[in-house]
Amino acid sequence: MNHSDDTSRILISKQAAQRVAATINRRRFLALTGGAAAVAALAACGGSSSSKSKNLNMFTWAEYDDPDLLKSWGNISLTIFNSNEEAIQKLVQGGGSSGFDMVVPTGVYIPQLAKAGMLEELDKTKLPNFSNLDPNYANQAWDPDNKYSVCKNWGTTGWIYDKSVVTTEIKTWADFIKVAQTEASGKTSVLDTAPNLAGIYFWANGISWITEKQEDLDACAKFMVDEFAQHIKAFDSYPGVNLTSGSYALSQVWNGDARQGLIGVKEAGDDIERYVWGIGSPETELWMDNWCVLKGAKNRDSAYDFINFILDPANSVTDLNFHGYNTGIKGVDALAADIDFKDMVFFTDEQVAMMKSGDVNSAQETLVKIYSDVKAKAGG
Amino acid sequence: MEATLGAQPPQQRTWLRAPKFLLAIPSFVWYVFLFVVPVGLVIVNSFGRKISGSPGTVDLSSPSLDRYREVVSGSFRSLLKQTMYTSILGTVLCLVVSLPVAYLLAFKVGPKAKTAVLALLMVPFFANFLLRTLAWRIVLQPRGFVSNFLQSGHWFTFGQALRSGPIEILDTRTAVQIAIVYNYLPLMIFPLWVALDRVELHLREASKDLGANRIRTFLQVTLPLAGPGIVAGLILVFVPLSGDYVTAALLGGAKGNMIGAEVANQYFKAQDAASGSAIAVSLIISILLVLGVLATCFWFMSKLLKANRAVKVVAR
Repeated sequence: MNHSDDTSRILISKQAAQRVAATINRRRFLALTGGAAAVAALAACGGSSSSKSKNLNMFTWAEYDDPDLLKSWGNISLTIFNSNEEAIQKLVQGGGSSGFDMVVPTGVYIPQLAKAGMLEELDKTKLPNFSNLDPNYANQAWDPDNKYSVCKNWGTTGWIYDKSVVTTEIKTWADFIKVAQTEASGKTSVLDTAPNLAGIYFWANGISWITEKQEDLDACAKFMVDEFAQHIKAFDSYPGVNLTSGSYALSQVWNGDARQGLIGVKEAGDDIERYVWGIGSPETELWMDNWCVLKGAKNRDSAYDFINFILDPANSVTDLNFHGYNTGIKGVDALAADIDFKDMVFFTDEQVAMMKSGDVNSAQETLVKIYSDVKAKAGG
Repeated sequence: MEATLGAQPPQQRTWLRAPKFLLAIPSFVWYVFLFVVPVGLVIVNSFGRKISGSPGTVDLSSPSLDRYREVVSGSFRSLLKQTMYTSILGTVLCLVVSLPVAYLLAFKVGPKAKTAVLALLMVPFFANFLLRTLAWRIVLQPRGFVSNFLQSGHWFTFGQALRSGPIEILDTRTAVQIAIVYNYLPLMIFPLWVALDRVELHLREASKDLGANRIRTFLQVTLPLAGPGIVAGLILVFVPLSGDYVTAALLGGAKGNMIGAEVANQYFKAQDAASGSAIAVSLIISILLVLGVLATCFWFMSKLLKANRAVKVVAR
């Protein structure tokens, strides 16, 4: 086989191609096809791959790693989940590793997975590159001493809006709510997760978003259902990629996705000045996704080998440039000095000080209830 | 040899005269384990309660109707109503569009053209359902080519009305309604066509000979004979449509949400199999109710048609 390219090609004008690419974006497609084994194309087709025997089954988020980078490591088959809850549900129902070697959960969900006995305790001697990780991103509260996990990357939540529709400047979450209720009513998208939705209210009102107080939760439920739900156009976790289609005037968005959207606008030759990205204020989210090895993994050694591979600064920066989130490797910001929209990946100390880690606590069920009610109200 | 063989068969076959139900066992097993048992479990789970902290498990120690109370009192009720509205309207629109197509296909199109038309109906089905639905995002997006074309003023009268701004159909219930009709149309056209195709030309000619005009022939001969096909089409479209949530998830945004999405949401996000089951069972009940109403309507209609008949048809 001298032709090892599995991509399909279509003949189409350059401008149209960008529109199509932005719309039928693989992330959206993969996210919706869900559990379908996604990246058969990643199976190396001969050629330069010297690591044919390296196989790995990974359970992860859509469009979260540079496919070329994965290919350069070996054969990785990706299966996609849409939310931590869904991943946990599927793993627990499978009653074991479910055939996966690795899973990429968000930090705050790791205790739940560890308690269910799903995760392998990591043997750091097999991860010499672990020392490359910035100590700031190791030893987190939800996984002391990185017993079960290694930081993949971390990010935050903010907003992006279209200046041609929204004339008010948005500086805080309170502004976000006000604009969503007025100028951007019916043109606002919010992240499709329960804690982030409730977070909008908590952050805007100076309440900790990991509150367990019943009165805070009640107030949030009342406000979100009665005064906010009707203004929502969509629950979309990846609105950045929809930027060029003009679907939303205002979106709650994760920084990496917003960056991917702006890169898309730039490549399409559209007016980049039209869109304004802002990081959530006065408080906002800090999340960290992590590499974990599942108990009973068939390719355990390969999993270690891969984690060690991705902790190499050169590989880490390649991945960073793809997904747009800080990988927490020492010196990665210097390596990524000339990437586009660098200020959306690396943050100042003041910005980092505004970011607060979430928690899975007794309020979780109430948050999901609020989220369901808001969804039903928005559609009903 | 031949003579002996010729005499043998009846005796040789006797071993085959096993009880007839043996042959039905595979399908029976299939039906029980892949339909009756799972649906039964869903119904049982719907009376339970979520166990906090352990995803997907249901506490059945004190069965109650609480989950159903939540469905009826909460915001799910309006969502269920909206879903039923979208499904009924979608089914009716499918019928309205399909009937002329199926009629033309059955009676007016020549054999060669028939193959071509059938191919045109089938070919889109070769493309993945998700892709076909996603394609509507390109068509309907506010800065898409349709919106741009309508605004550019090429359509003078129609365009003027829309010139005020880009079309805002994407992520609304309208988008879901359009795509649903598009996606389920063949499921309506094929049963209708098969039913109409079986209506013999002689019967329609006889109707004409007896003095009925075209409309009367259609209403009193063709349509009643095609009745079973229409019912099959309505059920084939309405039932999966009510449970559909992929179309809504892709095109509906927040406003076009359907109850199926809430079932998935309860299972996967809330990790609450009890509430998910209760919503699913409520959906099944709603579907059965609508079908019941439909059956009653058909019964009345056939009575009405029979009462208005000038000629009594008596079965031989």
